[in-house]
Amino acid sequence: MRVRTETPDLTGRSRRSALRLLGMERSEEVFPVLLEEIVSLGHPRSLVTRVNFETSEITPIASLNCSKTMLQRYRSSLFAVETPMVRILHSQEAELVPGRGKRGSGLYFYPLIYRNRTPCWEAERARGRKCIAVENYHCHLKLQLQEQVCGICEMRAYAAMVVTEITPGTTAAEITELRALIELANRYLSRLFKVEHYHNRMVDMETIITQMQTVMESMTDPVILTDPQHRVITQNKAAERYFRLPDDVSEGRVRAVELNNLLFSAALSSMAVSANDSSRDLTLVDAIEGEEVLFEAVSAPSFAPDGRRTGMVTVLRDVTDLRRADEELRANYDKLRQAEEVVRQDRDRLNLVIENVGDPIVVCDRDAKIALLDPRAQELLGTEKSRTAIHVRNQAKLDAYITQFTYSFSDRESAPIQLTHPDNQLEVEYDARSGKIYDERGLVAYTVTVLRDLTAVRRLEQLKLERRMLEMEKFAAAGRLAGTIAHEVNNPMEPIKNCIFLLTDQIKPEASPVYEILKAETERVARIVRQMLGLYRTTEQVGNFDVNSVVEDTLLLFARQLDRAGVRVAKEFSDLPPALGSADQIRQVLSNLVVNAKDSMSQGGVLRLRTHLVRHEGMRESIRIIVADSGSGISDNVLDTMFEPFMTTKGERGTGLGLWIVKGIIENHGGKLRVRSKVGKGTVFAIELPAVR
Amino acid sequence: MKPVNAKPHILVVDDEPNVLVTYRLILQQQGYEVSAALSSEEARECLAATRIDLLLCDLSLEKQENGFDVIDFARQKNPNMPTVLLTGYATPEANEHAEELGIPVLFKPIDIKELLETISQLLRENYEEHEAAG
Repeated sequence: MRVRTETPDLTGRSRRSALRLLGMERSEEVFPVLLEEIVSLGHPRSLVTRVNFETSEITPIASLNCSKTMLQRYRSSLFAVETPMVRILHSQEAELVPGRGKRGSGLYFYPLIYRNRTPCWEAERARGRKCIAVENYHCHLKLQLQEQVCGICEMRAYAAMVVTEITPGTTAAEITELRALIELANRYLSRLFKVEHYHNRMVDMETIITQMQTVMESMTDPVILTDPQHRVITQNKAAERYFRLPDDVSEGRVRAVELNNLLFSAALSSMAVSANDSSRDLTLVDAIEGEEVLFEAVSAPSFAPDGRRTGMVTVLRDVTDLRRADEELRANYDKLRQAEEVVRQDRDRLNLVIENVGDPIVVCDRDAKIALLDPRAQELLGTEKSRTAIHVRNQAKLDAYITQFTYSFSDRESAPIQLTHPDNQLEVEYDARSGKIYDERGLVAYTVTVLRDLTAVRRLEQLKLERRMLEMEKFAAAGRLAGTIAHEVNNPMEPIKNCIFLLTDQIKPEASPVYEILKAETERVARIVRQMLGLYRTTEQVGNFDVNSVVEDTLLLFARQLDRAGVRVAKEFSDLPPALGSADQIRQVLSNLVVNAKDSMSQGGVLRLRTHLVRHEGMRESIRIIVADSGSGISDNVLDTMFEPFMTTKGERGTGLGLWIVKGIIENHGGKLRVRSKVGKGTVFAIELPAVR
Repeated sequence: MKPVNAKPHILVVDDEPNVLVTYRLILQQQGYEVSAALSSEEARECLAATRIDLLLCDLSLEKQENGFDVIDFARQKNPNMPTVLLTGYATPEANEHAEELGIPVLFKPIDIKELLETISQLLRENYEEHEAAG
């Protein structure tokens, strides 16, 4: 027999029953009322059993006029297949089972299951998915434990059985009425069940919400739920500190909270716009402390079951300390980078300086072995690939110096060193300047040696010297000119002065003042002329002087130059009486001759200086000074003119006055100057000065 | 024999005529008898022809000869000839030479007083020597 859904025509009594059932508010009230109504239909007894899906047991839950024994009979299990009750439950078809007794009575089994013609609201919202109530209504399925759970709301359906004893003689119409009553009750029951299910769901939901709120509140970080318009739906206590106005509100806090809300919703908006950006930094004002707090806001959108966006869940993480540490770290890193940059620039600059310093630089290690050479030093010392004999010789010289310096106690040292330039094979004079670099233990790690080419410096020194000589020569020339003029003026002075003398006593008294003026002014001219003559005769202090010490002084003055030029000096001094004259002028003479000698020995050589006493006939003695070089010598035609003014073999560098002045000074001293020379062999100058006895 | 009260005869040698003239005038004014020579040749002629008591000679005369040549000539005749050397500019050699010969050197411009004193001293010395010699 198939269960039908159409509402049967209700008789008056049935209408009463229906209304009574309709008045039930709770599902558990339905079965007792149903049983009463069944009995009131004239059936002797009836009971309801219910399937417990948890245990699969079937137990009577309500009965009317039933003995305990009878109830006991209807206690069963879903697995007990032999009983008609279980069979009917599974088939879901009502059945009239004839009684075994003589009275011809039977049992009417009517299965009940949660069903409904329309889906529940949840199922309606989740379109396309099946509500168990509707499924049970439309389909006739064999009862399965697992299947009796709604796929949408996880509601577990109920299954029950109404068992009614039917007396013999009961008409089909009466059975139909019974069936209609039970069916009606089931409809009400289904509805109540659904309502109760929703109620339970609500209670569960509340529990979950409470739990969630507990979780939220227990979080120390602010957690905020917002709606799609970024309005705060709920927030925990930690968030309220920033976003909610408390009761005892101050103006500052209002502003802070307003500002925070503004900042927060702005941050949310920007995060919502850019889908990738799930977190961002946010600075909020602590409404109580008034301090700025830096947060990292992590947001996730929340969705409804149908996929609608319902808002955002945002957790704010206080990252003030983290960020501060991070910033410090970053600042330190930046500082480090800057320092590194400075060091790098310094190094680059240093490299640039080294490359452009123009002087060879040699870096050696603690064992005085070469560690680094700049390109110019490589030119002098060669590289491993190309090394000539000159390179080897240069390195040997430098090694000796650097080794000595490395193991010495001085931090810095400088010394002259002669190296040969590999290109033009010329000896170049260098000033080696060295310094030590120490390691952390204070031991020598490296030595740095810079070789300064002194050629230019020497040239400058030479230039200065020549300029000074030129000044002296100019002065001497001026003196000579003054002397010449004075001499020329002096001659006519003689008769003038004599005439004035002759006119004495012959002047008329009225002309006497004129004569006196003539006499006085003439005497003045005579005085000036005498001074000028004196200037030429003796420009400096004149007196006795020691020739040997003048020679020694002169050599001292030029020792370095001579050394650099590779000129060896040989001295031979005798005991001498003093000479009369100007030591300064004789020094000038010797300087001139020594410089000339040096210039003539461009490849080095020997300069001899000898003094001795020469006895002439009688008591006369003179001091002889010999200045001899092993230089290039002087050719005969030059020898003839070399003492004339403005004769020079030195081109631009000479004035041509040096030897002229030398001669002049010697002659002024009553001395003699002689020269002997042979080209390619050398030149000898011999000076003779009168000795004082 | 020399007349006792005769004026001393001085020979002045200088290549500058004006110098020569003025010295002659000055010396004549002082009461000397003066001869003047413009060159060493004139001087030698004068020395040869005349008795000269004192020689007043300029150092620089011609290119080839100087005052010393004239002095040498005079001394050949009279080794004790009192002589004064006049010069504008004397080299130390010349100075030395004059010293060796015992000849005073006066530098131009010459102080006339000093010249006159030197002349009279030399003449006196010469006269005294002469007297002593007999």
